[in-house]
Amino acid sequence: MVACILIPGFELRAALRERPRLATRAAALAPLPGSDPVVGPVTAAAEAAGIRPGMRLGEALATCPSLVLVEQDPAVAEQEWEGIVRRLEDVGFPVEPAAVGCLYVETRGVERLYGGLEQALGRALAAVGSSWDARAGAAERKFAALAAAGVARAGQVLVVSNERAPDFLAPLPLSLLPLDESRTAELERLGVRTIGQLASLPGSAVAERLGPDGRRAWGLARGGDNRRVRPRRPPAEIAERLEFLEAVANELTLRRALAVLVERALARPERAGRAVRKLALSARLVGGGSWRRSTTLREPAAEKERLRTALAPKLAELPAPVTALGLEVAELAEWTGQQLELAGGEGAGSATRLKEGLRQARASAGATAVCTVVEVAPWSRIPERRALLVPRD
Amino acid sequence: MVADSRAPSAARPARLNAPRPVLVEAGFDGTPRQVNRQAVMLVREEWRVVDRWWTEDPIGRRYFDVVLESGEHAVVFHDTEHGGWFTQRA
Repeated sequence: MVACILIPGFELRAALRERPRLATRAAALAPLPGSDPVVGPVTAAAEAAGIRPGMRLGEALATCPSLVLVEQDPAVAEQEWEGIVRRLEDVGFPVEPAAVGCLYVETRGVERLYGGLEQALGRALAAVGSSWDARAGAAERKFAALAAAGVARAGQVLVVSNERAPDFLAPLPLSLLPLDESRTAELERLGVRTIGQLASLPGSAVAERLGPDGRRAWGLARGGDNRRVRPRRPPAEIAERLEFLEAVANELTLRRALAVLVERALARPERAGRAVRKLALSARLVGGGSWRRSTTLREPAAEKERLRTALAPKLAELPAPVTALGLEVAELAEWTGQQLELAGGEGAGSATRLKEGLRQARASAGATAVCTVVEVAPWSRIPERRALLVPRD
Repeated sequence: MVADSRAPSAARPARLNAPRPVLVEAGFDGTPRQVNRQAVMLVREEWRVVDRWWTEDPIGRRYFDVVLESGEHAVVFHDTEHGGWFTQRA
């Protein structure tokens, strides 16, 4: 069977790990800078005060003036989520993470080990940890498992057999389907309020009225496809971190720090010569909170220049000065070598000649002979403060 | 002993577009009449930059974008804090 383990409001719970007292107060996850001003997941106290996830920030604060807005901490959320996935893998479950706070596991291989399906899922919930209020749903198909987890209580395991699945799904609300609010509202205006009512409509009529999304939702309402769980590839454990003595916002310094982190990560023996496929850059921000961006390389690489080129543009997205910068190698390629092309590409020779020319210029005229222009404060009204000439490595 | 300019310690970032001293003859109202002994035909624009007044090294500049008799464009400024005329690409 397929089981879905769901942790509602995972980002808020992760952000409250360091401030557990807020969990009992009216609190909501603040929006990210630059995103829509709507609140994220909310605590039970906030829900009791009338706050709903997705409410406009102004409306939420007017409804509950004592509402505490909790800053998002994506790096901590990512770490905690990785910890949960690893604990599940450690107890024998093949895990397919769907999103932060939602994952699927295949139970077939471990049911006998733990003495049955419910016992196995009980073990899975124990591995997740009771403080997360996780809930589990199991069914033959993923959507039914997700729906079961969605209606289960914290710490509960809800198993839906294949025969009972249509009856189980029928009375559930449309909000469980991955549909736009406008689509859901349109269906409700037509008198379709439950998954069962949607499933009873002809598929072609739904597709004509609601388009491909509607057709997909209709397919899910009828049980969904029977794709199996595709377990993830366990990530590599290479992480490097650089703490700054004081907060840094200067892009030049951050680029230098990134270069150091890339060099250190590539020098780690765990890499065993393998190329890097996926990387994540994280930072601790000066006012508290964190920032994280991950990137998957089009082609796995082990050259520091290529890794720096892939990651450096992410530094421009930092919302505040940082006190620490981290680099994680999330995935490594399986191979250690790369088949080189037989004939060099157009321009490969000139790049080598240019490099050699620059080396000779540096050797004859000094290290400052070859420089790069680095913009440090392009907005400055004082022209000489806008850019620096930095000697090239 | 003379330091080796090729040593790594010499490879420090330098400011781009730093102001360079220039010979300017100004009129009674402070606008440039001659720049490097060339007559100013037209003052295209004039603006002030007052910055870092909260530090011990305040900046006060009166910039002029001028066209010289040779047809050349130049941007010059008068340093109102320390005195002197400079040229710089604005």
